[in-house]
Amino acid sequence: MVLYEIVGVFIYPGMAFLFGLAFLYEWIDRKFFARVQNRIGPLYTGRSGILQPVADFIKLLSKEDIVPASCERPVFSAIPIVYATLPLIALFVIPITGSALIAFEGDVIFLMFVSALITLTVFLAGWSSAGSFSRIGGIRSALQMLSYEIPFGLALIGPAISAHSLSLTKIAQWQAANSSWFLWLQPIGFAAVLISLLAELELVPFDIPEAETEIVAGWLTEYGGRRLALFRLGKDLELVVASTLVASLYLGGAQPLFFIPPVVILILKSIIVLLLISFVRAIFARFRIDQMTSGMWTYLLPLMIVQILLVQFGIGG
Amino acid sequence: MEDLIKRLEGYKEDIVEIKRPKERRIFVRVKADGFKKFLSRLIDDLELRHLSTITGVDLGQEMELLYHFSYKYSVEISIGVKVPKSAPKVPTITDLIPGAIFYEQEIHDLLGIEFEGHPNMGPLILPEGWPEGVYPLRKEYTVQELNRIARGGG
Amino acid sequence: MSYGSTIKVPFGPQHPALKEPEYFLFEVDGDIVVKVTPRIGYVHRGVEKAFEQETYLHNLYLAERICGICSHAHTTCYTQTVEGLIPLEVPPRAVYIRLIMAELERLHSHSLWVGIAAHEAGFDTLFMYLWRDREMIMDLMEEISGNRVTHAINTIGGVRRDITNEQANKIKKFMDRFEGNVKEYMKVLETEQTFLKRTKGVGILKPRDAISLCAVGPTLRASGIKSDVRADDPYLAYGEIPFNVITHDGCDVYARTIVRCEEMIESANIIRYALDHLPEGKIRVPPPRTIAPNESVGRVEAPRGELIHYARSNGTAKPERYKVRSPTLGNLASVCQTLIGAHVADIPMILAGIDPCFSCMDRMTITVKKA
Repeated sequence: MVLYEIVGVFIYPGMAFLFGLAFLYEWIDRKFFARVQNRIGPLYTGRSGILQPVADFIKLLSKEDIVPASCERPVFSAIPIVYATLPLIALFVIPITGSALIAFEGDVIFLMFVSALITLTVFLAGWSSAGSFSRIGGIRSALQMLSYEIPFGLALIGPAISAHSLSLTKIAQWQAANSSWFLWLQPIGFAAVLISLLAELELVPFDIPEAETEIVAGWLTEYGGRRLALFRLGKDLELVVASTLVASLYLGGAQPLFFIPPVVILILKSIIVLLLISFVRAIFARFRIDQMTSGMWTYLLPLMIVQILLVQFGIGG
Repeated sequence: MEDLIKRLEGYKEDIVEIKRPKERRIFVRVKADGFKKFLSRLIDDLELRHLSTITGVDLGQEMELLYHFSYKYSVEISIGVKVPKSAPKVPTITDLIPGAIFYEQEIHDLLGIEFEGHPNMGPLILPEGWPEGVYPLRKEYTVQELNRIARGGG
Repeated sequence: MSYGSTIKVPFGPQHPALKEPEYFLFEVDGDIVVKVTPRIGYVHRGVEKAFEQETYLHNLYLAERICGICSHAHTTCYTQTVEGLIPLEVPPRAVYIRLIMAELERLHSHSLWVGIAAHEAGFDTLFMYLWRDREMIMDLMEEISGNRVTHAINTIGGVRRDITNEQANKIKKFMDRFEGNVKEYMKVLETEQTFLKRTKGVGILKPRDAISLCAVGPTLRASGIKSDVRADDPYLAYGEIPFNVITHDGCDVYARTIVRCEEMIESANIIRYALDHLPEGKIRVPPPRTIAPNESVGRVEAPRGELIHYARSNGTAKPERYKVRSPTLGNLASVCQTLIGAHVADIPMILAGIDPCFSCMDRMTITVKKA
């Protein structure tokens, strides 16, 4: 039994599987993004460049890591590990194979908590770096969180209310049992969760904390070598979290289809979400921080409140 | 262009010579005394709003300043005035033409001509630590000497 | 939040928004800029001093390297100025070839700029598309002159290479395609909300300020002032070719983008017309080696604005004085004005709006930074 659990945590559907998914998703994202831009994307490493994310990771691990002299050393060094671990924890509660590694009532709230922690980590990364670009990036990240946090939470709660459960696994199973996805039952929620996730993942149009042309690399500026490798891994894992979360919560989760195992179905659904996110990234320009916060509070939040009210009155499951 | 020349000739007391080498190019040389007043009258009279640039030339004993104005963006009127190298001072024209601010600063950096009344005569192009009084574009400095200074000589 | 004090924010010399190093010291109050002090000269290479050391022909190649993107504009102005000194008349076919290369250069420079503007706004996809088109233009220029940049096609007295009929047809075919592409991009730019939010109302330069601060080029034309050296002071064959001077009343970065896009379409038209009316004949005449004492001013509409050269000869084979004022320096005063009152986040957009080419602007000796 213990062996079974160890294999579960470390291999499948645990860490090894999740790292593999992370690299795969990064490749899909880069390839799709490139094709939209009339470029080719990764090409040489592995067939059609599929090993490129792995190659980048290994290369970064071998690079020199320069630590700024005036940074807060303990925080600076610990943050990358924390940043890579938190999405992993989040992934443990998402039912990728139909049942999550850890499932309990209230894991939706747990997920929100972990995502808030991730943003706090970003802020600390920027703050402890002691460079002006990093500080500005960290502050912008925190400011961005203040804007998308509430709509994001509401978008997670909507399906929870309908499914009468705060457990992601149960919400996914509710959609399977009732043969209807929250995608069309609560469309506003779907749009809101995508927009908030774009903001949380710091992707265009909300990549303000890392706006390359304004503040170099924002909170990531001072990190290099192994620490940067961990950050990038964390980002890829966050991409997996985002796409599988939306797939579980709004697209019906892992359901078996004919003879295809549920995990494959979930991965396919989450890849669709990933392509959607990539596409939005390619076709928009970047907002300014004040435009983003005012947009979120003026438009997204009221719409989500409307959505929740609709759910309360029985519309949308 | 003909009537431009006629209007310029009206300023007989200030102008030393007028040259018109080709279409839409006029070169006017004026006396240093009362230069600013002359320029101010000319700017108002001909509505010379666009200053293309100011050129400084080191002629040995004296230095010449050429103000390249553009009449209606079309005819280029270059107005030249000489100042002695021992006392290279000229009144600024930034009150008449605000766009002249960086041109005058650049000439000050490279040729050492002082523009009295300029809002900021600090260095524009020369780096920190450049020795005072070394004006690179003056003839007395050779390229070799300037390289030596730039590399930390002095 | 201000207690009457301002924060000084240094911008540069290394900064991703600046393609070339320059130093701007901003004083900001909260998020708004209140004062700008530029310090330029980081790519200063001593060109004006170097001009005095070499012959006129040698200096042609020096003039070309003042800037990579507008290299042909510099040599066109240089040859115009020196040919004004001699004076020397250039055969008509050479004039037309110079004009075609100048317009091709304008196309490549403007498409570079619009791509950069999109990139500054975070709109990488448009940046990639425009630079793909730009690659094709550079390939055309390579076919004609042998180089993608610093084409070295001008010489004192004419041009060094001819355009064959085959090349002419290739150019014409590409112009049709390119014009279609630019119109597509313009449609995207005019309707893409995220881009508009970053560029409309940003970097306002009122017409009155544009004139008094002596702005040049698309920056000036985007404030509604109809001024273009090609139309006002026709050089090469611009007097014989019909074209429009593009202006826009927006006065902001968006207007500057639209002006440049429409200028690209005009350039495509000019190139097609010039290729159809290419006169026969020689392509160069030999210039004399020494030039009698004289002075001359040359003006050209470089992609960034009015470029002016002044030359004075003294009877020898080397110039007495050669002065270059490139358009970016001309726009420095007005850009400092537009920066005042802007958000800090808009600074890169506004700086990019004048299409800064700092190597053109500085042209001076490499100063080794002391330890």
